[in-house]
Amino acid sequence: MLINMIWKTAWKNVWRNRVRSLVVISSVTIGIFAGVFSVALMNGLIAQRVDDALNEEISHIQIASKDFRINNDPQLVIGNPDETLSKIRSVEGVIGICERTVLTGMANTASKSAGVQITGIDPEKEKQVFTVSEKIIPGTGDYFEKESKYNLALIGEELAKDLNIIRYSVDTSTLSRLKEKGLPANIITKLIPLTGKRFANEKQFIKEMKTLFTAGEAMKYGLIIRKEAWSFREGARLTLTFLDKDNNQVGAVFRLTGLYDVANSIFEKGTVFVKNSDLTKLTGIAENTFHQIVVKINNLDHTDELTTTLAEKLPELEVISWKKIQPDLAMMTDMVGQFYLIFGLIILAALAFGIINTMLMVVLERTRELGMLTAIGMNKKRVFSMIMLESVFLSLIGAVTGMITSYILISITANSGINLSQYAEGFEALGYSARVYPQISAGFFGIVTILIIITGILSSIYPAMKALKLNPVEAIRAE
Amino acid sequence: MKVLEIKNVSKIYNETEVKVNAVNGVTLDFQEAEFAAIVGPSGSGKTTLLNLIGGLDNPTSGEIIIDGTNLAKLKSSQLINFRMRNIGFVFQAYNLIPVLTAKENVEFIMNLQKWSRKERDERTFELLKEVGLSDRANSRPTKLSGGQQQRVAVARALASRPKFVLADEPTANLDSKAATTLLEIMEKLNHESKITFIFSTHDPRVVKMARRIIALEDGKVVSDVK
Repeated sequence: MLINMIWKTAWKNVWRNRVRSLVVISSVTIGIFAGVFSVALMNGLIAQRVDDALNEEISHIQIASKDFRINNDPQLVIGNPDETLSKIRSVEGVIGICERTVLTGMANTASKSAGVQITGIDPEKEKQVFTVSEKIIPGTGDYFEKESKYNLALIGEELAKDLNIIRYSVDTSTLSRLKEKGLPANIITKLIPLTGKRFANEKQFIKEMKTLFTAGEAMKYGLIIRKEAWSFREGARLTLTFLDKDNNQVGAVFRLTGLYDVANSIFEKGTVFVKNSDLTKLTGIAENTFHQIVVKINNLDHTDELTTTLAEKLPELEVISWKKIQPDLAMMTDMVGQFYLIFGLIILAALAFGIINTMLMVVLERTRELGMLTAIGMNKKRVFSMIMLESVFLSLIGAVTGMITSYILISITANSGINLSQYAEGFEALGYSARVYPQISAGFFGIVTILIIITGILSSIYPAMKALKLNPVEAIRAE
Repeated sequence: MKVLEIKNVSKIYNETEVKVNAVNGVTLDFQEAEFAAIVGPSGSGKTTLLNLIGGLDNPTSGEIIIDGTNLAKLKSSQLINFRMRNIGFVFQAYNLIPVLTAKENVEFIMNLQKWSRKERDERTFELLKEVGLSDRANSRPTKLSGGQQQRVAVARALASRPKFVLADEPTANLDSKAATTLLEIMEKLNHESKITFIFSTHDPRVVKMARRIIALEDGKVVSDVK
C-alpha cells in the first residue's frame, strides 16, 4: 500500500514538468537507440564476417603436416590420407570434409602478374564445406561444371581486375541496364561520351569517369556504373607458375572457368582454385595425396572441443581451428563483449550526468514540499525511494522507448540489410560485406534494462542525499 | 488530560556570535481539546516555539514532553515517526502535494502509517465531508481556491488522529470569508474530535475565536489567558 503510494507519487512527479522530463527521456531514448543499434550493426558485421570466413575462406578446422603452414613445402603432404580421412569421419560433429593441394605461386597474364595461393580442389567435395560455388558472378562461367580438355581455374573478381582480365566498356545495353537500376537521366547522359570506348582496366575507367562526374556523383553511382560496365570473356587464359614436388618451377596455362565474388577482396586477390587432378599432374604429387584437409563441423561452439579430439586422433599432424588460423577474427569475437561494455558505460555515464542534473533541479524546485513531507512524517528512506524512483522512471521510459525504436529498426533491416554499397570497396578490403544485417539477442535488451535501472538508481543518489540534508524548518519556508 | 508540556524551553541562535534568544525559558502545558492561539509581534518567537513543539527544531535547553514522551530522548528517525503519529501540521502556504488530488493528499499520512484501504477511504471521506470538500475529492490543489486548499491541509493534519495540531499562521494567505469558514471548521473539528489546536497568529479573527491566548514577547510568555 505504502509502496504503491510512493510509486504513484514518484510517477506523477515525473510528469510535473513535462517539457523537462520529455527532454531527459528523449536524450535517454536517443542514447539507448544509438547504443543498441550500433551494437546490432556491429553484431551483424562480425557475425557476417565470421560466417563468410568460415563458409568461403577457411572453414572450422584445418589439418596439415606439422610444418606445412610455415614452410609451404609441396613435399609436405599428408601421409596415409585414407586412414586420416577415416579417423576424421569417425568424429561426431564433423559434417563435411574436403582435401586440398595448396601451392604458392604466380598468376600471370600478358600485361600483369600477381602472387597467389593456388588451391587444388575436388569441386564436389568442396561444396560440402564451402559456398564459393554459389558465389560465381553470373555471366562469367561456372564452378568447374563443364568438362574440359584444358586446365581450368576459378579466380576472384579482384584478381581478374588486377590482371586486367576484366575490361570496361559502355554501350547502349549498359546504359539501358543502368536506367533500369534507377540511375538518374542526367547521370546516364553524362556517360554517353564513353559509348564505344574500351578501357583495359578499372583504373583507366575510374580516371575517365572522374572527368565526367562530380565527386559526390562518383561516390554515389561509381560502383554501380563500374559493375555494369565491366566485361569478361569466358575462357580467358592465365598462366600459373609454382613449384613441383621436387621444388622445380613449373608453369601452365589455365582457362578461366568463371569468376567468384566473395565479400573479402584480399581473399579474392590472393586465391586461385584449380582442380586437384590438374595440379597433381603438373606437380608430380601422387594422386590422392594432399597438403590439407578442411573440416566443417555442425556447431561453431564446439570448435575447441572437436579440434582437441581431432588433434588427439591425429598426433602426427597439425590440427588447428579457425581461431588460430585467423586470430584477429577470434579476438574480435572474444573481445566484442568487452568493447560493448565500455561503449555502453560511456553512453550510460553521459546519460547519468543528464539525469543527475535534472534530479538536482527537481530537489531544488521542491525544497518546500520535501520539507513538508519530512515534517509530517515521511522518513529518509521513503524520501530517498521517491527521488530514486523518479530517476529510475525517467531512465526506464527513455530506455524502453529507445529499445522499442531500435527493435523496430533492427527487425526491418535484419531481413533486407542495410546497403552500404557506396563504401563497398572499403568494406570488402577489410573482408566485410557492404550489406549489413543488424542482429541482436533478446538477452541484450534484458542487460540494457538492468544497466539503465542501475544508472537511474546511481544517478539519484547525489540529488537524494541533497534532499535528505534539507532542514525541514528552513525548507518549509523556502521560496 | 495533559497532551503537551513545555518545561523552561529556550532556543538560542548564533550561540558563538551575537546570541539571539528566540525562545527564552517558556513553560506551558496544553490539555486535550484546547483551542489556543500564540500571539505576539513579528520576531517574538511564535514560529520558533511552534517548530520546537512540533519536533522540527531542537531546544537549546528545556524539555518538551508530548503525551509522556520527551522529544529530546528520541533519535532522528524515531522523531520523524513520532511526528507522523502524534502531531498534525497546517502551514501558512498550505503545502499540499500538487500532483495528488485532495483525497490523495489527505490519505497520504495514513498511507505512511500503513492504514488499510478501507480505513483510509472511510477516514478520508469523513474528513473531506467535515471540511466541506467531499465534492472536490478528486481535484488537484491547483483547481482549488486558497481556502479550499487550506481546508484540505486541515483534513490532512487530522487524518492520523494526532494528539494536537500545530497551525502556523493558517489564515495569513486567506481572504476574510475563507478565513472565517476555515476557523469555524477547525473549531467544530476541535470540539468534535477533542484534538488540541495550537495556532501561531497575528489574525484578530483567530484570537477572537481562541479559548486560550498566549502572548509572547522577545521569546518570553508575557500573558496566558484562558
